[in-house]
Amino acid sequence: MTLRNTTQRWGAIAQLFHWLIVALIIVQLTLAEMADDLPNGMRKLTLLSRHKSFGITILMLVILRLIWRSLNAHPPLPDNLKPYERKLATFSHGALYALLFAIPLSGWTMSSARGFPVSWFGFFQLPDLVPRSRPLYEALVTTHVTLVGVLLAVVALHIAGALKHHFVHKDDVLKRMLPFT
Amino acid sequence: MRASALTPALGLTLLAAALGCARAGAPAAAAAPAAPPPAATAAAQPPAGAHYTLDPAKSSLEFIFLQAGAKNTGRFPRFTVGLDFPGADPAGGRLDVTVEVAALETGDKDRDETLRSDDLFAVTKYPQAHFTATRIVRTATGFDAEGPLTIRGVTRDTHVPFTFREASENGATVGYMAGKTVLRRLDFGVGQGDWKATDQAGNEVTVSFNLRLTRAMR
Repeated sequence: MTLRNTTQRWGAIAQLFHWLIVALIIVQLTLAEMADDLPNGMRKLTLLSRHKSFGITILMLVILRLIWRSLNAHPPLPDNLKPYERKLATFSHGALYALLFAIPLSGWTMSSARGFPVSWFGFFQLPDLVPRSRPLYEALVTTHVTLVGVLLAVVALHIAGALKHHFVHKDDVLKRMLPFT
Repeated sequence: MRASALTPALGLTLLAAALGCARAGAPAAAAAPAAPPPAATAAAQPPAGAHYTLDPAKSSLEFIFLQAGAKNTGRFPRFTVGLDFPGADPAGGRLDVTVEVAALETGDKDRDETLRSDDLFAVTKYPQAHFTATRIVRTATGFDAEGPLTIRGVTRDTHVPFTFREASENGATVGYMAGKTVLRRLDFGVGQGDWKATDQAGNEVTVSFNLRLTRAMR
Protein backbone atom coordinates (compact mmCIF):
# COMPACT_ATOMS: atom_id res chain seq x y z
CA MET A 1 0.00 0.00 0.00
CA THR A 2 1.34 3.43 -0.92
CA LEU A 3 1.15 6.51 1.32
CA ARG A 4 -0.76 8.46 -1.31
CA ASN A 5 -4.09 7.44 -2.80
CA THR A 6 -4.21 5.83 -6.22
CA THR A 7 -7.19 5.58 -8.56
CA GLN A 8 -7.51 1.95 -7.35
CA ARG A 9 -7.47 2.35 -3.56
CA TRP A 10 -7.00 4.67 -0.61
CA GLY A 11 -3.39 5.19 0.47
CA ALA A 12 -2.02 4.67 3.97
CA ILE A 13 -2.44 8.30 5.05
CA ALA A 14 -6.11 8.48 4.02
CA GLN A 15 -6.77 5.13 5.72
CA LEU A 16 -5.00 6.29 8.87
CA PHE A 17 -7.22 9.40 9.02
CA HIS A 18 -10.35 7.30 8.45
CA TRP A 19 -9.66 4.65 11.09
CA LEU A 20 -8.12 7.00 13.65
CA ILE A 21 -11.26 9.14 13.54
CA VAL A 22 -13.42 5.99 13.86
CA ALA A 23 -11.44 5.01 16.98
CA LEU A 24 -11.66 8.51 18.45
CA ILE A 25 -15.43 8.67 17.89
CA ILE A 26 -15.78 5.44 19.90
CA VAL A 27 -13.55 6.91 22.65
CA GLN A 28 -15.65 10.09 22.64
CA LEU A 29 -18.97 8.25 22.97
CA THR A 30 -17.52 6.15 25.81
CA LEU A 31 -16.11 9.16 27.72
CA ALA A 32 -19.35 11.13 27.35
CA GLU A 33 -21.44 8.15 28.45
CA MET A 34 -19.22 7.55 31.50
CA ALA A 35 -19.18 11.22 32.51
CA ASP A 36 -22.96 11.52 32.11
CA ASP A 37 -23.65 9.14 34.98
CA LEU A 38 -21.24 10.80 37.42
CA PRO A 39 -21.98 13.47 40.00
CA ASN A 40 -19.95 16.69 39.75
CA GLY A 41 -16.47 15.99 40.98
CA MET A 42 -12.91 15.25 40.02
CA ARG A 43 -13.72 12.10 38.05
CA LYS A 44 -16.31 13.87 35.92
CA LEU A 45 -13.96 16.80 35.40
CA THR A 46 -11.18 14.44 34.27
CA LEU A 47 -13.39 12.50 31.84
CA LEU A 48 -14.88 15.65 30.34
CA SER A 49 -11.51 17.36 29.96
CA ARG A 50 -10.25 14.30 28.01
CA HIS A 51 -13.48 14.35 25.97
CA LYS A 52 -12.82 17.99 25.05
CA SER A 53 -9.17 17.32 24.18
CA PHE A 54 -10.08 14.33 21.97
CA GLY A 55 -12.86 16.38 20.36
CA ILE A 56 -10.39 19.10 19.41
CA THR A 57 -8.08 16.34 18.13
CA ILE A 58 -10.87 15.10 15.84
CA LEU A 59 -11.44 18.65 14.59
CA MET A 60 -7.72 19.00 13.79
CA LEU A 61 -7.63 15.58 12.10
CA VAL A 62 -10.65 16.42 9.93
CA ILE A 63 -9.01 19.64 8.76
CA LEU A 64 -5.79 17.79 7.90
CA ARG A 65 -7.82 15.02 6.28
CA LEU A 66 -9.65 17.42 3.97
CA ILE A 67 -6.36 19.10 3.03
CA TRP A 68 -4.88 15.68 2.26
CA ARG A 69 -8.00 14.72 0.29
CA SER A 70 -7.70 17.86 -1.84
CA LEU A 71 -4.08 17.01 -2.68
CA ASN A 72 -4.77 13.42 -3.73
CA ALA A 73 -6.57 11.36 -6.33
CA HIS A 74 -9.59 9.45 -5.06
CA PRO A 75 -10.62 6.02 -6.23
CA PRO A 76 -13.97 6.61 -8.01
CA LEU A 77 -17.28 4.97 -7.19
CA PRO A 78 -17.99 1.93 -9.39
CA ASP A 79 -19.77 2.65 -12.71
CA ASN A 80 -22.62 0.22 -12.11
CA LEU A 81 -24.19 2.28 -9.30
CA LYS A 82 -27.79 3.44 -9.72
CA PRO A 83 -28.22 7.25 -9.67
CA TYR A 84 -29.92 7.18 -6.23
CA GLU A 85 -27.05 5.08 -4.83
CA ARG A 86 -24.53 7.53 -6.18
CA LYS A 87 -26.50 10.43 -4.66
CA LEU A 88 -26.75 8.66 -1.33
CA ALA A 89 -22.98 8.02 -1.29
CA THR A 90 -22.15 11.65 -2.08
CA PHE A 91 -24.68 12.91 0.47
CA SER A 92 -23.49 10.63 3.27
CA HIS A 93 -19.80 11.43 2.72
CA GLY A 94 -20.54 15.17 2.69
CA ALA A 95 -22.70 14.84 5.80
CA LEU A 96 -19.97 12.90 7.63
CA TYR A 97 -17.38 15.59 6.98
CA ALA A 98 -19.82 18.36 7.93
CA LEU A 99 -20.75 16.59 11.17
CA LEU A 100 -17.12 15.95 12.06
CA PHE A 101 -16.68 19.72 11.96
CA ALA A 102 -19.97 20.69 13.55
CA ILE A 103 -19.85 18.31 16.52
CA PRO A 104 -16.47 19.40 17.95
CA LEU A 105 -17.29 23.05 17.20
CA SER A 106 -20.63 22.80 19.00
CA GLY A 107 -18.84 21.17 21.95
CA TRP A 108 -16.16 23.86 22.03
CA THR A 109 -18.81 26.63 21.79
CA MET A 110 -20.82 24.90 24.50
CA SER A 111 -17.81 24.96 26.83
CA SER A 112 -17.27 28.65 26.07
CA ALA A 113 -20.93 29.44 26.79
CA ARG A 114 -20.68 27.55 30.06
CA GLY A 115 -17.61 29.59 30.99
CA PHE A 116 -15.26 26.59 31.08
CA PRO A 117 -12.47 27.32 28.57
CA VAL A 118 -11.11 24.36 26.58
CA SER A 119 -7.54 23.22 26.82
CA TRP A 120 -5.90 20.68 24.51
CA PHE A 121 -4.49 18.12 26.96
CA GLY A 122 -3.14 21.01 29.05
CA PHE A 123 -0.69 21.99 26.29
CA PHE A 124 -2.54 25.05 25.12
CA GLN A 125 -5.77 26.86 25.82
CA LEU A 126 -8.28 27.57 23.07
CA PRO A 127 -10.01 30.95 22.85
CA ASP A 128 -13.62 31.22 23.96
CA LEU A 129 -15.90 31.35 20.92
CA VAL A 130 -18.87 33.02 22.65
CA PRO A 131 -19.38 34.92 25.88
CA ARG A 132 -20.75 33.11 28.91
CA SER A 133 -24.50 32.51 28.62
CA ARG A 134 -26.57 29.86 30.35
CA PRO A 135 -29.44 29.78 27.78
CA LEU A 136 -26.93 29.53 24.93
CA TYR A 137 -25.15 26.73 26.79
CA GLU A 138 -28.42 24.81 27.22
CA ALA A 139 -29.21 25.24 23.52
CA LEU A 140 -25.74 24.07 22.51
CA VAL A 141 -25.97 20.96 24.71
CA THR A 142 -29.12 20.02 22.79
CA THR A 143 -27.38 20.82 19.49
CA HIS A 144 -24.28 18.78 20.38
CA VAL A 145 -26.31 15.74 21.44
CA THR A 146 -28.67 16.00 18.44
CA LEU A 147 -25.76 16.22 16.00
CA VAL A 148 -24.23 13.11 17.56
CA GLY A 149 -27.56 11.33 16.98
CA VAL A 150 -27.49 12.43 13.33
CA LEU A 151 -23.85 11.30 13.04
CA LEU A 152 -24.73 7.83 14.33
CA ALA A 153 -27.57 7.59 11.79
CA VAL A 154 -25.31 8.63 8.89
CA VAL A 155 -22.58 6.26 10.12
CA ALA A 156 -25.16 3.44 10.05
CA LEU A 157 -25.99 4.38 6.45
CA HIS A 158 -22.26 4.53 5.64
CA ILE A 159 -21.63 1.05 7.09
CA ALA A 160 -24.73 -0.34 5.36
CA GLY A 161 -23.45 1.08 2.07
CA ALA A 162 -19.98 -0.41 2.55
CA LEU A 163 -21.47 -3.83 3.36
CA LYS A 164 -23.81 -3.65 0.36
CA HIS A 165 -20.83 -2.93 -1.89
CA HIS A 166 -18.97 -5.90 -0.46
CA PHE A 167 -21.70 -8.52 -0.21
CA VAL A 168 -24.30 -7.47 -2.80
CA HIS A 169 -22.36 -5.66 -5.53
CA LYS A 170 -19.25 -7.73 -4.72
CA ASP A 171 -16.98 -4.80 -5.68
CA ASP A 172 -13.81 -3.51 -3.96
CA VAL A 173 -15.27 -0.34 -2.36
CA LEU A 174 -14.99 -1.70 1.20
CA LYS A 175 -11.69 -3.47 0.61
CA ARG A 176 -9.93 -0.38 -0.71
CA MET A 177 -10.36 1.30 2.70
CA LEU A 178 -9.12 -1.75 4.63
CA PRO A 179 -5.43 -1.70 5.54
CA PHE A 180 -4.58 -5.39 5.25
CA THR A 181 -6.26 -6.37 2.02
CA MET B 1 -15.83 53.49 15.47
CA ARG B 2 -12.21 54.49 15.73
CA ALA B 3 -12.59 56.13 19.10
CA SER B 4 -14.49 53.22 20.61
CA ALA B 5 -11.87 50.80 19.35
CA LEU B 6 -9.08 52.98 20.67
CA THR B 7 -10.47 53.59 24.14
CA PRO B 8 -9.80 50.14 25.62
CA ALA B 9 -6.39 50.03 23.97
CA LEU B 10 -5.53 53.42 25.42
CA GLY B 11 -6.84 52.35 28.82
CA LEU B 12 -4.65 49.27 28.73
CA THR B 13 -1.62 51.30 27.71
CA LEU B 14 -2.19 53.70 30.59
CA LEU B 15 -2.69 50.80 32.96
CA ALA B 16 0.50 49.16 31.74
CA ALA B 17 2.33 52.45 32.10
CA ALA B 18 1.00 52.87 35.63
CA LEU B 19 2.05 49.34 36.57
CA GLY B 20 5.41 49.76 34.92
CA CYS B 21 6.04 52.99 36.80
CA ALA B 22 4.97 51.45 40.09
CA ARG B 23 7.47 48.67 39.48
CA ALA B 24 10.19 51.11 38.61
CA GLY B 25 9.76 52.58 42.06
CA ALA B 26 9.01 56.13 40.99
CA PRO B 27 5.30 56.47 41.59
CA ALA B 28 5.39 60.10 42.67
CA ALA B 29 6.89 61.33 39.46
CA ALA B 30 5.30 59.07 36.92
CA ALA B 31 2.02 57.67 38.18
CA ALA B 32 0.21 61.01 38.28
CA PRO B 33 -0.24 61.52 34.53
CA ALA B 34 -1.29 57.89 34.08
CA ALA B 35 -3.89 57.86 36.85
CA PRO B 36 -7.43 58.05 35.48
CA PRO B 37 -8.92 60.60 37.94
CA PRO B 38 -7.59 64.02 36.87
CA ALA B 39 -7.24 65.30 40.43
CA ALA B 40 -5.17 62.31 41.48
CA THR B 41 -1.92 62.86 43.26
CA ALA B 42 0.35 60.01 44.16
CA ALA B 43 1.94 59.77 47.54
CA ALA B 44 5.42 58.39 47.79
CA GLN B 45 4.53 57.23 51.26
CA PRO B 46 1.29 57.34 53.14
CA PRO B 47 1.05 60.06 55.75
CA ALA B 48 1.38 59.11 59.39
CA GLY B 49 -1.68 58.12 61.30
CA ALA B 50 -3.80 57.14 58.36
CA HIS B 51 -6.47 54.49 58.62
CA TYR B 52 -8.13 53.13 55.53
CA THR B 53 -11.24 51.05 55.01
CA LEU B 54 -12.56 49.37 51.92
CA ASP B 55 -14.82 50.89 49.32
CA PRO B 56 -16.46 47.57 48.37
CA ALA B 57 -18.25 48.95 45.32
CA LYS B 58 -14.98 49.86 43.63
CA SER B 59 -12.83 46.97 44.78
CA SER B 60 -12.28 43.45 43.54
CA LEU B 61 -10.68 40.33 44.91
CA GLU B 62 -10.20 37.58 42.34
CA PHE B 63 -8.69 34.14 42.18
CA ILE B 64 -7.31 32.62 39.01
CA PHE B 65 -6.94 28.86 38.75
CA LEU B 66 -6.29 26.17 36.19
CA GLN B 67 -9.24 23.88 35.56
CA ALA B 68 -8.64 21.04 33.12
CA GLY B 69 -5.58 22.90 31.87
CA ALA B 70 -7.48 26.12 31.16
CA LYS B 71 -7.39 29.40 33.04
CA ASN B 72 -10.54 30.24 34.99
CA THR B 73 -11.36 33.21 37.17
CA GLY B 74 -13.50 33.49 40.26
CA ARG B 75 -14.10 36.29 42.70
CA PHE B 76 -14.90 36.93 46.33
CA PRO B 77 -17.58 39.63 46.27
CA ARG B 78 -17.71 40.04 50.05
CA PHE B 79 -14.65 40.96 52.07
CA THR B 80 -13.39 43.69 54.37
CA VAL B 81 -10.03 45.42 54.49
CA GLY B 82 -8.50 47.59 57.17
CA LEU B 83 -5.13 49.22 56.56
CA ASP B 84 -3.29 51.26 59.15
CA PHE B 85 -0.18 53.29 58.63
CA PRO B 86 0.42 54.74 62.10
CA GLY B 87 3.79 56.30 61.44
CA ALA B 88 6.08 57.33 58.65
CA ASP B 89 7.69 53.90 58.79
CA PRO B 90 5.36 51.37 57.14
CA ALA B 91 6.86 48.67 59.38
CA GLY B 92 4.45 49.67 62.12
CA GLY B 93 1.54 49.26 59.75
CA ARG B 94 -1.15 46.66 59.91
CA LEU B 95 -3.33 45.10 57.25
CA ASP B 96 -6.45 43.14 58.15
CA VAL B 97 -8.42 41.25 55.55
CA THR B 98 -11.47 39.07 56.14
CA VAL B 99 -12.95 37.23 53.19
CA GLU B 100 -16.39 35.64 53.15
CA VAL B 101 -15.30 32.48 51.35
CA ALA B 102 -18.85 31.17 51.21
CA ALA B 103 -19.82 34.06 48.93
CA LEU B 104 -17.37 32.97 46.20
CA GLU B 105 -18.51 33.24 42.58
CA THR B 106 -16.98 31.62 39.52
CA GLY B 107 -19.83 32.27 37.12
CA ASP B 108 -21.08 28.70 37.39
CA LYS B 109 -23.45 27.59 40.14
CA ASP B 110 -22.43 23.93 39.99
CA ARG B 111 -18.77 24.81 40.26
CA ASP B 112 -19.44 27.27 43.11
CA GLU B 113 -21.27 24.52 44.97
CA THR B 114 -18.35 22.14 44.44
CA LEU B 115 -15.88 24.76 45.67
CA ARG B 116 -17.96 25.33 48.81
CA SER B 117 -18.17 21.60 49.56
CA ASP B 118 -16.34 19.83 52.39
CA ASP B 119 -13.52 18.54 50.17
CA LEU B 120 -12.63 22.06 49.01
CA PHE B 121 -13.36 25.24 50.99
CA ALA B 122 -15.70 23.50 53.49
CA VAL B 123 -17.56 26.77 53.99
CA THR B 124 -20.03 25.50 56.58
CA LYS B 125 -17.13 24.86 58.92
CA TYR B 126 -14.80 27.61 57.66
CA PRO B 127 -16.95 30.42 56.24
CA GLN B 128 -14.17 33.00 56.35
CA ALA B 129 -10.52 33.41 55.45
CA HIS B 130 -8.30 35.87 57.31
CA PHE B 131 -5.07 37.64 56.64
CA THR B 132 -3.42 39.82 59.25
CA ALA B 133 -0.18 41.46 58.28
CA THR B 134 1.72 42.82 61.23
CA ARG B 135 4.84 43.56 59.28
CA ILE B 136 4.73 45.84 56.27
CA VAL B 137 8.00 46.70 54.58
CA ARG B 138 8.85 48.89 51.64
CA THR B 139 10.18 47.05 48.60
CA ALA B 140 11.60 48.14 45.26
CA THR B 141 8.14 47.87 43.72
CA GLY B 142 5.92 49.03 46.59
CA PHE B 143 5.21 47.24 49.84
CA ASP B 144 5.25 43.74 51.20
CA ALA B 145 2.78 42.66 53.87
CA GLU B 146 3.71 39.63 55.89
CA GLY B 147 1.63 37.72 58.37
CA PRO B 148 -0.59 34.72 59.05
CA LEU B 149 -3.11 33.76 56.39
CA THR B 150 -5.84 31.36 57.47
CA ILE B 151 -7.86 29.46 54.89
CA ARG B 152 -10.00 26.43 55.75
CA GLY B 153 -8.67 26.50 59.31
CA VAL B 154 -5.03 26.18 58.23
CA THR B 155 -2.72 29.08 59.06
CA ARG B 156 0.46 29.81 57.13
CA ASP B 157 2.82 32.74 57.16
CA THR B 158 2.29 34.51 53.85
CA HIS B 159 3.75 37.44 51.93
CA VAL B 160 1.47 39.72 49.98
CA PRO B 161 3.22 42.30 47.82
CA PHE B 162 1.17 45.34 46.86
CA THR B 163 1.37 48.80 45.42
CA PHE B 164 -0.27 51.72 47.13
CA ARG B 165 -0.94 55.27 46.13
CA GLU B 166 -3.13 58.01 47.40
CA ALA B 167 -5.35 60.22 45.33
CA SER B 168 -7.58 63.16 46.01
CA GLU B 169 -11.05 62.71 44.59
CA ASN B 170 -13.74 65.35 45.14
CA GLY B 171 -11.90 66.64 48.15
CA ALA B 172 -11.60 63.24 49.82
CA THR B 173 -8.37 61.30 50.13
CA VAL B 174 -8.57 57.77 48.83
CA GLY B 175 -6.01 55.01 48.53
CA TYR B 176 -5.55 52.61 45.64
CA MET B 177 -4.06 49.28 46.61
CA ALA B 178 -3.32 46.50 44.14
CA GLY B 179 -1.30 43.33 44.04
CA LYS B 180 -1.29 39.62 43.57
CA THR B 181 0.21 36.60 45.15
CA VAL B 182 0.37 32.94 44.25
CA LEU B 183 -0.89 30.46 46.84
CA ARG B 184 -0.81 26.69 46.74
CA ARG B 185 -4.29 25.49 47.63
CA LEU B 186 -3.03 22.20 49.09
CA ASP B 187 -0.92 24.12 51.64
CA PHE B 188 -4.25 25.10 53.19
CA GLY B 189 -5.99 21.75 52.74
CA VAL B 190 -8.22 23.13 49.97
CA GLY B 191 -8.48 19.79 48.21
CA GLN B 192 -9.27 16.61 50.09
CA GLY B 193 -9.98 13.17 48.67
CA ASP B 194 -9.99 13.24 44.85
CA TRP B 195 -9.22 16.96 44.90
CA LYS B 196 -5.71 16.29 46.23
CA ALA B 197 -4.78 15.55 42.62
CA THR B 198 -3.57 18.63 40.79
CA ASP B 199 -3.71 17.59 37.12
CA GLN B 200 -7.30 18.78 36.58
CA ALA B 201 -7.47 21.44 39.30
CA GLY B 202 -4.13 23.21 39.57
CA ASN B 203 -2.43 23.56 42.93
CA GLU B 204 -1.29 27.10 42.25
CA VAL B 205 -3.96 29.76 42.58
CA THR B 206 -3.24 33.41 41.84
CA VAL B 207 -5.05 35.77 44.16
CA SER B 208 -5.29 39.25 42.73
CA PHE B 209 -6.78 42.38 44.23
CA ASN B 210 -7.60 45.88 43.10
CA LEU B 211 -8.88 47.95 45.97
CA ARG B 212 -10.15 51.45 46.53
CA LEU B 213 -9.79 52.51 50.15
CA THR B 214 -11.25 55.51 51.85
CA ARG B 215 -9.16 57.28 54.45
CA ALA B 216 -9.94 58.51 57.91
CA MET B 217 -7.37 60.31 60.05
CA ARG B 218 -7.00 59.01 63.60
